[in-house]
Amino acid sequence: MFGFHAAHMMNHRLLLPLLAFAILPPALGQPAPETATASQAIDVASGAWDGVVNIDVSVLFPDYREPWNAGQPSGGSGTGFLIGKNRFLTNAHVVSNATRILIRTSNDPEPHPAKIVHIAHDCDLALIEAEDAKHFEKLTPLDFGSIPQLNTEVIAIGYPIGGDRISVTRGVVSRIDFRPYSHTSVDSHLAIQVDAAINPGNSGGPVMQGGKVVGVAFQGFSGRVAQNVGYMIPVPVIKRFLKDVEDGRYDHYVDLAASDFPIENPAQAKALGIGGDGIGVMVGDVEPAGSVGEILKLGDVILSIDDNPVLNNGLVRFEGELMDMNEIVERKFAGDTIKLAFQRDGKKQEATVKLKRFDPYVRLGATYNQRPRYIVHAGLVFQPMDRNLMDAHQIRDATVSYVFDNFLTDKLYVERPEPVVLTNVLPDEVNTWLTPYAHSIVDEINGVKIKSLKDVETALAKKDQTFIEIRLLEKTRPLVLKRELAAAAHTRIMQTYNISADAYLGDE
Amino acid sequence: MKLLPFSLLFLISAAALQAQTAATEAPKKKRAAPVATDATVPIATAESNSLVKVNATSQRYNPHLPWQKESPSGRRGLGVVLAGNHVLVTAQMAADATYIELELPESGQKIPAKVVAVDYEANLALLEAPPSDRQKAFFSGLKPMSIDASVRIKDNVDVLQTGRVGELIKSPLNINKVLTRRYIVDGSNFLVYETTGIVRSEGNSFTLPVVKGDKLVGLLLSYDSKNQVTTILPAPIIEHFLKDVSDGSYEGFPGMGMEMQSTQDEQFREYLGLKTDAPGVLISAVVKGGSADKAGMKKGDVLVSINGFAIDTRGDYKDPQYGPLSSSHLVRGRAYVGDKVEIKVIREGKEVTLNGQLSRRSPDEQLVLPYLFDKGPRYVLMGGMLFQELSRPYLDSFGEEQRGGAILRLARIATYPDKYEEAGRKKLVFLSMVLPTPSAQGYDKLGGQVINKVNGKAINDLNDLAEAFKSAKDTWHVIELDDFPHVLYLDTFNAERDNMRLLGGAYRIGSLKRLE
Repeated sequence: MFGFHAAHMMNHRLLLPLLAFAILPPALGQPAPETATASQAIDVASGAWDGVVNIDVSVLFPDYREPWNAGQPSGGSGTGFLIGKNRFLTNAHVVSNATRILIRTSNDPEPHPAKIVHIAHDCDLALIEAEDAKHFEKLTPLDFGSIPQLNTEVIAIGYPIGGDRISVTRGVVSRIDFRPYSHTSVDSHLAIQVDAAINPGNSGGPVMQGGKVVGVAFQGFSGRVAQNVGYMIPVPVIKRFLKDVEDGRYDHYVDLAASDFPIENPAQAKALGIGGDGIGVMVGDVEPAGSVGEILKLGDVILSIDDNPVLNNGLVRFEGELMDMNEIVERKFAGDTIKLAFQRDGKKQEATVKLKRFDPYVRLGATYNQRPRYIVHAGLVFQPMDRNLMDAHQIRDATVSYVFDNFLTDKLYVERPEPVVLTNVLPDEVNTWLTPYAHSIVDEINGVKIKSLKDVETALAKKDQTFIEIRLLEKTRPLVLKRELAAAAHTRIMQTYNISADAYLGDE
Repeated sequence: MKLLPFSLLFLISAAALQAQTAATEAPKKKRAAPVATDATVPIATAESNSLVKVNATSQRYNPHLPWQKESPSGRRGLGVVLAGNHVLVTAQMAADATYIELELPESGQKIPAKVVAVDYEANLALLEAPPSDRQKAFFSGLKPMSIDASVRIKDNVDVLQTGRVGELIKSPLNINKVLTRRYIVDGSNFLVYETTGIVRSEGNSFTLPVVKGDKLVGLLLSYDSKNQVTTILPAPIIEHFLKDVSDGSYEGFPGMGMEMQSTQDEQFREYLGLKTDAPGVLISAVVKGGSADKAGMKKGDVLVSINGFAIDTRGDYKDPQYGPLSSSHLVRGRAYVGDKVEIKVIREGKEVTLNGQLSRRSPDEQLVLPYLFDKGPRYVLMGGMLFQELSRPYLDSFGEEQRGGAILRLARIATYPDKYEEAGRKKLVFLSMVLPTPSAQGYDKLGGQVINKVNGKAINDLNDLAEAFKSAKDTWHVIELDDFPHVLYLDTFNAERDNMRLLGGAYRIGSLKRLE
């Protein structure tokens, strides 16, 4: 970075999320036919690469422990590239929680303030624009290619760790697979593995072949887990994002919200009435609130999806590659339809499914660019359960862990779409007997069933009883506060614990 | 999203693997064994002809591979000779024992022994050597020790150990607290004496007598060498056990079957309608079929007295011998199964007297076995699919740190079994693992799924499961699960063929089921 940033260097991160765990399936033993590109010297001074920019961000990490506080200021640096008139593509994780974004080109030290146009956390992509477009008018945007073949050469360009100027690394395409995207930790999409060095700071930078962008570098493994394994977001995912935002709004991925179970067992195939052609995968779970909640049942066999036959392990042959059948859904948008052929009780059926986003799972993933919501009342801190909260509070309580862990598997979201956790009891005379009950799920307040944080506000507003009565899920005694004592203590506690506002419900 | 069920399955198999690996290591002692201490330890030597060394070998079944046993391990203790040539030890000495012998401390003479009675909740066991001339000769120089239950706080007592050549080593302790505490298994809150003082280690870690003068006042229960705090399993519990044994049929210690909440919080008291200085605790749960339930106690009652003893806001009563003590001792320690009990509660502002009879809920009556010793876990193996009944020892074998996914779900059922018990389940049957067989092809990554039905029949215990496998409606069994993937099919003929191959095959399976 540049000299005037020295003060920020202490907590400055180069951005590249690392996968926390290694799954090492056997390598695809498919030989590649040819090498697509020959090595060529790059003349940085020519300006041909000026479209690849360094993105310097100042961020504010929200504080889910003291949700009334602003959070922890920090900084980071990644890469982006010009793809159109004043439009730079980068990773969502590069600009998440940003309070200031600065763009610099390779040949010019001047920082240009920028802002987010669209951000898609579920596929880790973002579009940003410079506040003053003038400086970038002469630069040439990069063009997109397609999915590169295995064992063909690619180069990764960006501003990774190891120096300040632009860097180029070279490698081959190692694998094309459906992979978890670690930014949210709950989304999986197509990803391409390359053995070109992709290091912190490369995030958001282009991976190129034959002068065209074939991917956006975005994640890798820690050197202790695996070497020469980097991942890029491939063109189909990028194009889907760009198409989604054409209408000025990002609508997120859609999902079947059903889990498939392979039909490998001969008795299972016989019982389900499946022939020996290896077609058909069993429906092992269906989310009632998802796209196929009303269409598929447990034990149904999915035969084809948009006329692509589904193999017994859930794969389809799509664009010449064997891919997860969800890849077909992945390319669609909210409101689009797919054609499903399935077999139930030996009979073939067809259905047209209108696709929608499945919201409950979002809670299980990390969220960004959001101010934590909360309510404090007489020192009792209520927050909606999500991954950010679970991570920040390090909750070990068996009931809270169970509800988080089984929110989908046991369909707990149906009864309680937004579980509310009593995360803290700020000690005061009024609540001194209640402190052991922090880290509990709130079941009911004053007779109102708590299905979301908003319900807490509604329930606490009821003033017809002498006591505030709080029932906790699977805790045997109710917590009670005498209303007049709680009201008197509330102001005192707000002052003592330096809490500026007693609630943030996300409605600003 | 889609990956969730699979990552969950990987977790289980990894956890199971870890547990199995741990099992092959040297078995850990459940108690903190007394450690050697420095030369400043006060040591007094004396003589006693009421103690015998007890050497036991224990071998438990593998909770994950229930047809096989883990490696045997030795346990040593110092037993107390009682009337009738019986020897008193802690139940840990008798647990999963394959061979027990008694040894005279000085001469080293040995004789085999067997268990007369054992109570794993009270952690007590009575041993005897079968009558013979050898037995007579062995016991001829030994004198029964009498029991003294009159010990109070501040009394000085001695922990006894024997040295290498049988010399007696005394470690003096001072009793500074009497309270109730969990012994070694779930549901075992009993009276303990807590003492401070240094206990020297001589390697007899599983039973050490505690005496006052020449009378037995308890057995060492635990020793925390860092804080030098010792807990003692006290004489009143030993007397209760011996009295119960003496009438020929053993009933065990009774329980109330209720949960109490203290009422010290003034706002909570006002909410409950209790006067400022009124005693009593809130009853927050009543176990169905337990003593309290049968006597007519209801959730929401405020308990104010048991058998004439007033209960304070903490749930304590004033014991004439020990001072304030948890009211659970009134029932558990001081009363017997079948005794009458008089309970006073405040219900809707009025005092109500409830009369009942005390009973004990045996482990077998519970959905999830709280402990399992001396017997192998029940199981059914069908075509490589291993079905078991959920138990605490099974859950505990995963350790606290590894609980996630299916194990977390099963652990939660163990904590809140009501819903399943009310649905008529006697035990919770689950698929614990799948051995690789042709008939279970495709299922080998499963594990931890609760079984609802097999061939259309509801499964309330493993016997139901074994019966249901006899009545397939087609050429395949239909196994319905509570969790993903919800239904499995197993070819009836191929499963039987794989059963035959498993017997005596690579997995050394001697029997396809254990239902006794």
